[in-house]
Amino acid sequence: MKRLKKPIKINITTFHLWLAGLAAVMGAGAVAGVIVFARGLVVTNLTDLVPWGLWITIDLSSIAMSAGAFLLCAAVYILGLKRYQSLARTATYIGLIGYSMAVLTLMLDIGRPDRFWHALVYWNPHSLLWEVTMCVTLYLTVLLIETAPIFGEMEWMQTRFPAIAKRLTGLHKLAPYLAIVGLCLSMLHQSSLGAAYGILKARPILYRPDLSVLFMVSAMAGGPSLTVLVSMIANRLTKRAPVNDELLEKLTHYIGWVLVGYLYFRVWDALAMTYTYQPGKTEGLNMLTKGPLSFNFWVGEILLGTIVPIFFLLNKRLRLNPILRMVALGLVVGGVVAYRWDVNMAGQLLMLTYLPQQIVPRYTTYMPSLIEFLAGAGVVAYGIFAITLGVRYLNIVNHNTITHEPEPVPEVATLPVTVE
Amino acid sequence: MENHPLKRRDVLKLLAVGGAVIGGLQYARLASASEPVGNSKHKWVMVIDQAKCIGCGYCTMACRAHNDVAPEISWNKVIQVGKIGEKQVFLSRPCMQCEHAPCVEVCMVKASYRRADGIIMMDYDRCIGCRYCEIACPYNARAFNWKPFTGPNPAVPTWGSPEVPRRPRGVVEKCTFCYHRIDRGLSLGLTPGVDEDATPACVVACPVQARAFGDINDPESVVSKLLAQYSSYRLREDLGTMPHVYYLPAREEKTA
Repeated sequence: MKRLKKPIKINITTFHLWLAGLAAVMGAGAVAGVIVFARGLVVTNLTDLVPWGLWITIDLSSIAMSAGAFLLCAAVYILGLKRYQSLARTATYIGLIGYSMAVLTLMLDIGRPDRFWHALVYWNPHSLLWEVTMCVTLYLTVLLIETAPIFGEMEWMQTRFPAIAKRLTGLHKLAPYLAIVGLCLSMLHQSSLGAAYGILKARPILYRPDLSVLFMVSAMAGGPSLTVLVSMIANRLTKRAPVNDELLEKLTHYIGWVLVGYLYFRVWDALAMTYTYQPGKTEGLNMLTKGPLSFNFWVGEILLGTIVPIFFLLNKRLRLNPILRMVALGLVVGGVVAYRWDVNMAGQLLMLTYLPQQIVPRYTTYMPSLIEFLAGAGVVAYGIFAITLGVRYLNIVNHNTITHEPEPVPEVATLPVTVE
Repeated sequence: MENHPLKRRDVLKLLAVGGAVIGGLQYARLASASEPVGNSKHKWVMVIDQAKCIGCGYCTMACRAHNDVAPEISWNKVIQVGKIGEKQVFLSRPCMQCEHAPCVEVCMVKASYRRADGIIMMDYDRCIGCRYCEIACPYNARAFNWKPFTGPNPAVPTWGSPEVPRRPRGVVEKCTFCYHRIDRGLSLGLTPGVDEDATPACVVACPVQARAFGDINDPESVVSKLLAQYSSYRLREDLGTMPHVYYLPAREEKTA
């Protein structure tokens, strides 16, 4: 009876319950996904007037949340701020997961997922979505190479497949180059997502170049916010995630200032639309400030998403309080998601009629269906699940093991090039 | 390499390569943006006379039958647009076949493309169903196949019989000026707009001859004459899409 003495160790911890909960949501999402593929998009509440809805918002938001990756890699490898290397590791992993979430939602969203490869084969370089497709594909590749060392350093990989692990870890050498490529691709991508809306003449509220800038700046606040938030939460929940709070605190200070810039652009953008009456545009703005999106706009985006976090993150005393800081970072993330939702909805809930002498706004409504909610929740649960596993098994939040000791930037690299 | 992860020269090299790539793409973009596919001496135009239109919807029904369109989709929509005196005025709206078509510009796989004769085509085998064109079209002329269209078409055979294959679930579809009738008619030596077999089904079906069709490059065509004789307008001209569908506004007395 020796076996009974040492039973199979099923020590159910909160960790397991957490994973089980996420798995349940993912399962529900998978069922919803199968229904979507089997029955088609008729199971959604999308219409010919509102053809893009909840899933597009999730797609845009997960791309925005991946922006920490390119920012921190650029900081480490281009600006030479090597102390942020461990944070870049977290951000890159989150970026990989975020981009894979975006690909998942896109596969749900397109009418012919079996033809997804058409986007890569048949090019229309004039289309913003072509650019978006290229950026997603190329940057996902960059992220895969950038995160390869993380998988290579995994203990299981090193014991089971030492040769592959060595190869993967060796890809670290490419990091500086990838940082440059990633910076270009990522900035192109964030801004072209905004531009994808900004070029739509048929949707007066969207037809303005500012959207590219706003998408990029809001992503530059939201992405690093999620990186720091994940690091802090992981650090509080497990001993496996030691962090250097000084680094996190510095980065949140930066986020605070980005938010100030974002608020400036957002307010300027809104005010610039109000000077004279313009059919469609003025009504669109009214919808944001007084209409069905007003709560989302004023409370979600402006107050909670921007102003409150600015106070929390720029004031050193408040910033040093970990709870307040985490709340602020969570609010930033929520604010960026609210912004994406508002842009997408404001553009579609209102459209100008094409009737002569009768160019009047025409309103419609949209509320996602249960299937849309379930499939969307499944994708989000997958993201959280993957990040949880990353923290647990891949050391993605670990500020103690810096494999490559930070070195000061050699002075010669900072001098201007002299012609001899 | 380990000590100096990135040399200035490497950065410059990468930037140069990046610049070359972007330049190349820009070249490709300019080349592809508005260039029509093929070449043609024709430019097809539709003229719809609102003074004559009685809003019967025959055009919509004939279109549904000839193009095998599902009952919940209208490639050609008839809308009430106010009154002149006692008389209700209608606006019949097919696809505008824009010269600068937003749908063609935004389609990432070139499933929407413009033929040299001005017709905006849909390649249903290529469309991935992203619905960007639906958002981009100012005229709501596009419809997505949210569900498969199976079973008999209620418009057939009363209004005609299908001449093009039915579209599958998950792609966007729209009016194509019955390009198949035009192409077949031309190959048989017929004149679109004059010979019924070479003219869009909606034009043929109209019981009050409110619709005219023809080649605007031909000064002797019906449409050229109508447009020379009467003042006309196009929908949302402010957008610069330059539709190939012209409307003769409703007037007090019928003249056209």
